Amino acid sequence: MQPIQLFELASKQAEWLAVRQSVVAGNIANSNTPGFKAKDVTPFQSVLETTGIRMAATQPGHFTETEMASRVIETRPTEEIGVQESGNTVGLAEELMKEGQVKREFELNAGLVKAFHRMMLMTVRR
Amino acid sequence: MDPLVASLKVAASGIEAQSTRIRIVSENLANARSTGDTPGADPFRRKTVTFSAELDRATNASLVQVSRLGFDEGDFSSEYDPGNPAADEKGFVKMPNVNVLVEMADMREANRSYEANLQSIKQSRDLISATIDLLRASQ
Repeated sequence: MQPIQLFELASKQAEWLAVRQSVVAGNIANSNTPGFKAKDVTPFQSVLETTGIRMAATQPGHFTETEMASRVIETRPTEEIGVQESGNTVGLAEELMKEGQVKREFELNAGLVKAFHRMMLMTVRR
Repeated sequence: MDPLVASLKVAASGIEAQSTRIRIVSENLANARSTGDTPGADPFRRKTVTFSAELDRATNASLVQVSRLGFDEGDFSSEYDPGNPAADEKGFVKMPNVNVLVEMADMREANRSYEANLQSIKQSRDLISATIDLLRASQ
């Protein structure tokens, strides 16, 4: 029997979405900071294809960044918004749109995990 | 720290920064006609606020903070009002360098950013509760 990989995949995507949400929140919070460059996370596809190397935590006090956190990149300013007078490249509307996207995908992800979990329980019950 | 909790923290820092900005705007608006009280004295000088991004080392997220509260060094306008206690010998009074329209525009922008930050708090909360809902019994 093949191992079930859906849960691993789903938790990876949930982690990616959570990191993306925190990056978008950072962009929104800094939407009026002079010289701030908008950031984003590399697409989930490329996260799946490459395996990252992370620092080992050998003691409880060690900080290790998650695999996803090392994938934060600066985005290019879009045509529509461009660079503002202060050197800021955040477009508020675009960031809110990204937030909506994150929310939809996260809820789909949680729903899938729930459904799959229910199916597994069904086979185990009685 | 969990990235979702980190984004709550980031949005909270944004809300704090924007409220400081709204406070400065209302100080400027309230003092838009505050003159000095001796002849030729300087009136109220417009205040400004500057933000800067601060990297939170533990979470790798960019918080925002108020980096400097400064003063607008622009010139004061003068108005003819001989009855004012701050009028000089020719009857002119220096008026604050506050432009009400600029302050209003600034207030609108602060308001909009504040709402965007609120939105990201709501969203992070929704995502966290979607995860918690997985544990809830489904029947």
